[in-house]
Amino acid sequence: MRNPIATLRNRWSDSDARTDGGEPASERSFLDRDSVRSAPFWVPPFLLVGLFVYGAVVWNFFLSLTDFSGIGEPDYSDLDVENYFVAFSDPVDGFLSMFGMGGEVSGGTPAWSDLTVDPVWNSLGNTLALMIGFSAVCLALGLLLAILVDRGIRFENTFRTIYLLPMSLSFVVTAKFWLYMYNPQTGLINIALGVFGIGPVQIVQNPDLKLGAVAFALIWQFSGYAMIVYLAALRGIPSSHFEAARVDGASTIKMYWRVIVPQLRTATVSALVVITVFALKAFDFLFSMYGGYQPGPSADILATRMVREAYANQNWAYGSTIAVILFVMALCIVAPYIYSQYRRGEL
Amino acid sequence: MSTADTDARLKRLALYAVLIAMAGFYLLPILTGLFTSITSPESYTGQSPFLPPMEPLLPETGSFSLQPWGNAFDGLARGLTNSFILVIPATILSGLFGSMAAYGLTNVDWRGQVGIYALFVAGIFIPYQAVLVPLTQFWYNVVPLQSLFAPLAGLPLVQAYHWKLVALIVTHTAYGIPICTLLFRAHYKKLSDEMIEAARLDGASVSTIYRRIVLPLSIPMFAVVFIYQFTQIWNDLLFALTIVQFGDASVVTQELVGIGVSQAGTNFPLRMAAALLAALPTLVVYVLFGDKFAEGVTA
Amino acid sequence: MSSDMNGDGLSRRTVLASAAAAGATGLAGCSSLTGGGGDEPENPIELLHAWSSGDGNAAVAALIEGFQEAHPDVEFAEEPVNGAARSNLDNVISNRLQANDPPSTFQTWPGATLEKFGEAYADIEGEVWTDDLKENYLPGPKEQAKLDGTYVTVPLNIHRINNLFYNTAVLEEAGVDPESLSSPADVVDACAAVAENTDAVPFAQQTSGSWSTIQLWETVLLAQAGIDGYEAFIQGEGDVDQVRSALENVVELSEYYPSDSSSISFTEANTMVMEGDAAFIHQGDWAAGAYSGDDEFNYGEDWGQVTYPGSEGSYLLNMDSFPYFDNNPSPEATKTFLSYCGTTDAQVRFNREKGSIPPRKDADVSELNTFQQDQYDDFTSADSQPPSIQHGLAVSTGIKTNITSAFSGFLEDYDADATAEALVGAFE
Repeated sequence: MRNPIATLRNRWSDSDARTDGGEPASERSFLDRDSVRSAPFWVPPFLLVGLFVYGAVVWNFFLSLTDFSGIGEPDYSDLDVENYFVAFSDPVDGFLSMFGMGGEVSGGTPAWSDLTVDPVWNSLGNTLALMIGFSAVCLALGLLLAILVDRGIRFENTFRTIYLLPMSLSFVVTAKFWLYMYNPQTGLINIALGVFGIGPVQIVQNPDLKLGAVAFALIWQFSGYAMIVYLAALRGIPSSHFEAARVDGASTIKMYWRVIVPQLRTATVSALVVITVFALKAFDFLFSMYGGYQPGPSADILATRMVREAYANQNWAYGSTIAVILFVMALCIVAPYIYSQYRRGEL
Repeated sequence: MSTADTDARLKRLALYAVLIAMAGFYLLPILTGLFTSITSPESYTGQSPFLPPMEPLLPETGSFSLQPWGNAFDGLARGLTNSFILVIPATILSGLFGSMAAYGLTNVDWRGQVGIYALFVAGIFIPYQAVLVPLTQFWYNVVPLQSLFAPLAGLPLVQAYHWKLVALIVTHTAYGIPICTLLFRAHYKKLSDEMIEAARLDGASVSTIYRRIVLPLSIPMFAVVFIYQFTQIWNDLLFALTIVQFGDASVVTQELVGIGVSQAGTNFPLRMAAALLAALPTLVVYVLFGDKFAEGVTA
Repeated sequence: MSSDMNGDGLSRRTVLASAAAAGATGLAGCSSLTGGGGDEPENPIELLHAWSSGDGNAAVAALIEGFQEAHPDVEFAEEPVNGAARSNLDNVISNRLQANDPPSTFQTWPGATLEKFGEAYADIEGEVWTDDLKENYLPGPKEQAKLDGTYVTVPLNIHRINNLFYNTAVLEEAGVDPESLSSPADVVDACAAVAENTDAVPFAQQTSGSWSTIQLWETVLLAQAGIDGYEAFIQGEGDVDQVRSALENVVELSEYYPSDSSSISFTEANTMVMEGDAAFIHQGDWAAGAYSGDDEFNYGEDWGQVTYPGSEGSYLLNMDSFPYFDNNPSPEATKTFLSYCGTTDAQVRFNREKGSIPPRKDADVSELNTFQQDQYDDFTSADSQPPSIQHGLAVSTGIKTNITSAFSGFLEDYDADATAEALVGAFE
């Protein structure tokens, strides 16, 4: 099928006769240009997005260069990158601390504070650990489920619906459920462990288990999403590929590993992008789980640290600085993805 | 029966066992919450939260009561109302704008088109944190929305504090447009072209074609978009926390964070009932339109 | 500390001045809507507070009722900030100050917390802080009413932090005499005896929020290091060994917490004591508020309270107060109200509901309950009234943030060494 709107586009661009390749825009009157004629449609939403999304991102960057804290208004006359130096102060020890090595990490004292301000290394390390651990398990579980569901089972719809169900819940709700599951006395996990004579284990406040517990709950919520993405991709693989592998006598596992999985690259990349970005947003979950801005150092991620600095401590500029760091991280994940989409002409 | 047959049957059995076990994994936290939420708080022991309350048939399981749901409703009523006031306009507006943007952008033929569209797509992935401080500044200190809104407070059903919800509606609309645009654009690329061509030959204008042809054909996509946006906005906490902050205009996710803790210790039946109540609108939407939801999240 | 405060005050002054200027120009168009004109008749008093439910709500209602009996001519537009916690209230004030539209007064911790909105307050010495008030407030609370030596706020109640509450029956069963305990180490030993001799939880502590642990630690610090060691710490000159030793005592106590301490709230921990499932609880005297609501659980018979062992002679303060804002929308009425809050009549009305005690030493407390009367006797005879760290009196908001953050780490690993360093470092 031809793209109808592309057809439409060609028709509008020259109303008399269609010459191949159309005419350059400059030869038409300004009001006839497509960009102008379609402007009433895309300009209002674009302005909204431009103002509230991109305008705010730029504004936030400028805020991160100020000394804005406490009450009052930001002063834009004296901009510097001091906050970034504070955020990444003590780089050697800080970097090593993300891997549990190195000495004591010391903070910096920016102009807007009399006190030492902690750098972001700890929350950066937690963020990376959460992103990597959570997305890897999520994708693996999603792929496994997709393969199982794809094996011509009965009640496929029901299973799929159940697996994706948690995705429709709010982070706040998920946190309430899992706080209950992890409860040392009435939680299902500890009741189950008790059957094996273990426990009760303190999970939610345990520095060794905290981040894992958070990741586990998020996996519960989002692995269904990975499954749906993989399932769509599996369905897109021609059945001849499966059969060819069968004829070659490959075992089921080998068949998937050698033939099918390599064809899921695109699905993996798009699921990965969405899931890691979800991990960056896990603030709502932690806020609900720990009943406030402070989840404790071993579960503190950049998303919580940013909101805490800005809204609990009123260190607005420093909060903005952490927000810029988060934004850059998201950009590093998304920009290559969008570029590759563009290269493949899927944009 | 041959061994191969038995083997295949066993494999099939194992497959279903795994599938059912996984279904258990996804359902258990919700079911546990549901069973706990219908236990009367007085009889709640927490010894077997995975069983429905069946006293006196089964001891230690607690006795059945809908009281936690009643209390949860009392506790969340204001938040639920505010959430609906927020979600319905924000969903419709972001859907409409998304559809317009997709139509307008698929229709343009100039060099910046892909660039603009790329900006829309990237907007989907921007962490909310990156804009929070400016948004708070904007709504509280730059736009005097509170005082602009004050005269409207005299109208029936309008309260002075609704200005915060207006700010939230605009914010969520702006943040919803990118994903809506993406969903609609994918759909518009697939639309059948005969009708549009016919309309074009009849001399229909850009906006007539949108109103008469594209919009009606978008209805199935609007369902997908609305369901997706409804879920997203209903479930959000962060924007509400930083724009509404607290008070009369609090939405349901904000109210849920603190419920069941401060009043009389951790009241698990109440807390679970409140969690389920807050999730109910999205759960209902999901159960009724699960396929459309899946379509939305995979786009 | 005073030099710190001056430095802080200066930068805040400039910030506020620019905020005020921006507010004046940017919001000139809507000033008619928000009120605040000078020549008009006085606006009603606008009191913002977060006591929207429970005993706090009853207390503020009683206070306002008393005020209106005494001053029927003054109009009142009291506004609880609905569903708000104290921090939310600060947000509202912050936004209002930014818009150059302060309320008449609001509920705030006095002491170092006043620094947060420092320059927005005005001197009320003489007009509100008369000689009568100065004579009848003890030195500790009086000091807390001042910002940089200037009276800006009126404290209206005192909660005590250094209490140890106990369930009489459980202690009898364990063979522990609470009056015999004389140091924080004795409390640990008593807990061991409870653990050995009864099924009850020895020490009902909640650790889901850090505040209970911070106030426990500050109490132990006061008990072990004495008032001088405590004062040195809040001045930023704390001795790291004393701080560590107090933390180590808390670590020892934590062995006797409920097994689910990290998932329960203060009310649940307190209920454990009421139901005989726990022996001790360390809390502010609001814990007694819950006991007095239970007819089956009586002071002197079923439960008792001792000053936290080792901290005798000190009354560790937690207060609420109403400050006076400069650029006040109702200057005269606000001063009338604040003056009323400084009377014994107001303080008795308020504290009867709140469960705390009047800051004035000349109050007639016969209308308060027996426990409050005993506390009041302790208060008026106390040698020192040090300010609480957790409850915002002793240290500025920034330092408090650092301390809270140090304790969120402590609650994960109970590492006394690292936390002691962080606590002493909280002032840098």
